[in-house]
Amino acid sequence: MKLSVVGLDHRRAPAGVRESIAFDGPKLAEGLGHFARKFEGSEFVILSTCNRVEIFAAGEAETIPSTGAIINTLAHFHEISAESFEEHLFDEHDEAAVGRLFRVASSLESLVLGEGQILGQVRDAYQVAVREKTVGPILHAVFQSALRVGKRVREETGLDEGKLSIASVAVDLARDIFDTFHDKTVLVIGAGKMADLTLQHLRSLEPGRITIINRSLERAAAAAERWGGKAEPFDRLNLALIEADLVVSTTAAPEPIVSLDQYVRIQRARRHRLALILDIAIPRDFDERIGDLEQVMLYNVDDLQAQTQANRKRRESGIGPATEIIERETAACLATLRHQRHAGVVLRRLGEYADAVRTRELESLYARCPNLTETDRQAIAHTLHRFQNQFLHHPRAALRTAAAEPVEEHPHPLLAAVRRLFGLDDL
Amino acid sequence: MIDGLSVLCFAGTYGLALVSDLARFAVRSASRGWMTLGLMALAWTVQTVYLANRAHESGTLPLTTPFESLLVLSWLLGAIGLYLVARAPKAAVGVFVLPVVVGLLAAAGALSNRAAWLDTRGAASFWGTVHGLLLLAGELCSCVAFVTGLMYLIQSRRLKHKRPASRFLPLPSLEQSERVNRAAITLAFPLLTAGLFTGVALVILLRGKSAVQIGWGDPKVISTIAAWLASGVLLHARFRPEMRGRRVMILTLLSFAFMVFTLIGMDLFRLPTAHGRKTAANPPAKSLAGESEAHGGSTS
Repeated sequence: MKLSVVGLDHRRAPAGVRESIAFDGPKLAEGLGHFARKFEGSEFVILSTCNRVEIFAAGEAETIPSTGAIINTLAHFHEISAESFEEHLFDEHDEAAVGRLFRVASSLESLVLGEGQILGQVRDAYQVAVREKTVGPILHAVFQSALRVGKRVREETGLDEGKLSIASVAVDLARDIFDTFHDKTVLVIGAGKMADLTLQHLRSLEPGRITIINRSLERAAAAAERWGGKAEPFDRLNLALIEADLVVSTTAAPEPIVSLDQYVRIQRARRHRLALILDIAIPRDFDERIGDLEQVMLYNVDDLQAQTQANRKRRESGIGPATEIIERETAACLATLRHQRHAGVVLRRLGEYADAVRTRELESLYARCPNLTETDRQAIAHTLHRFQNQFLHHPRAALRTAAAEPVEEHPHPLLAAVRRLFGLDDL
Repeated sequence: MIDGLSVLCFAGTYGLALVSDLARFAVRSASRGWMTLGLMALAWTVQTVYLANRAHESGTLPLTTPFESLLVLSWLLGAIGLYLVARAPKAAVGVFVLPVVVGLLAAAGALSNRAAWLDTRGAASFWGTVHGLLLLAGELCSCVAFVTGLMYLIQSRRLKHKRPASRFLPLPSLEQSERVNRAAITLAFPLLTAGLFTGVALVILLRGKSAVQIGWGDPKVISTIAAWLASGVLLHARFRPEMRGRRVMILTLLSFAFMVFTLIGMDLFRLPTAHGRKTAANPPAKSLAGESEAHGGSTS
């Protein structure tokens, strides 16, 4: 049994090279078919995303294609020269290949550590290969394990917890403060790029109302149209702040536009409802003492940046535990695969041994009893066949169960015992 | 003995559920969450069977002693906790609810006297049950307000100090905690008030029919009135916009402390109360009913 992966990713290859050998849309199924036809008897899964193209192959040592053969097939399929991408490729084999897949599924190889998309992409790649019938017992087992490991790593290490962009952190903060958003008003002060970027994320909260205030009412109106909100002139700032629950301020004003006294009056008019103010302007738009008021959470760009840094560190602290899980799971997956294959051989030999004994005994009986009619012979043969099946039913079931156990010892003690008990090594 | 053993059974299981939930600070695994849920469900089921058996044997609701009252209160809070943990296994609800449940059970097992509050029949028994139920509902609301208040304060402190969310202690949003807290406070006061008044009515009803008399100076009466006043102050604060947020939550904790003292303070500090005793522990200066006849009525 051999397993290998050949591919490139964002760390090794520029986007242009990745694009040149990508399997987008219908190309994925075509590519799988191409590989399966060329290397009959081998299994294939192609994982193709914007950050990576990886071809997983598995099969017997004599049938599995070499790295060179995969590269040539890849070049032939895309009708490009192998030299154009060969230097960026990596290849891993057997245990390293399984470990590689587990690391990819766990997002340890991703551009953004802990991102959740890759697990879905691995699942999609596997499902397409299943649909195209290019997956066999080896890659079935390995990819199903990878999906489970990817989920387990995220659950047990917190690798995917905490957002890494300022806008995403802002969304998480809003969720920590507010329970529902359909009854909330988002006020955006300013109509620049930062306002657009933040609104893009805040839109996912589906707020009830979006109000945009800008010194230029025209720009505010344009932004309001883009985001399905309403524009207000700048002189209505206080009124808008009274209505707002979540404020995003992004102006380029040289001085704070909201003083402490001003906001104290606003908060009184708001009847002290909870407020989240995201002051991402530099210099700041809100007097920082506003953050000391009850029921007001004021975050400036440094605070948000600090949270992204803390989240990044937290994710990085999960790499060690994640690697340990992956190493253990890789060993367990390979052990199970080996046991399953070994169990397959033992089961086949056990069946052959039983068939041979039955046939020999039948022939001996027929020789000793030449007067048996054809009907008698068939009845005896049928009875012996049933006896053989019933006799071997439990040993076979036990072997199949043992094969699924992630026991490191090879061969599995039960498989070794069956081989010895029935003398299968001598066959 | 059997009572003690049975209480120990489900209190211990709740305790294990709490340990399992606290293990979230060290162990990250989906199975830990399921273990917490399973242990909570087991404890609650055993407690349900235990209470049902007591009700079956006595032929009345298990609210006739301070011991039973604490058991039912912990059972109701356990049901709320179980529902919330089942609904959101990752949220740290158990960390807040289970200590209260275990605390109530510990108080029930170790402190509460097990003498029946009322040894009367008919109307007095009915009003005694109403009195007990109303106070129980009010106390349950106070417990819920306490738990949500605590969660609010922790979440609010984190947000004020601009710390990232704890992966070990995911808490509900401030708005959610505040909403549940407000609802619990709003319900608690009228329930406690109604419970208190039915208690007074019960005292009048039992005038001359019981050997025990409770005076205004009885520690139980004083602490109950103090807890009721604290609940009233809290309700008042809850409707004042400038008190919203942390101030109301801190008042919630104080109000809960008053309620806890009312529930277990007499037993804990061995205060001389006639409430719940079959004989007067300390003859009061002036009878609550304004009469010299003793009674066995309950005000908490």
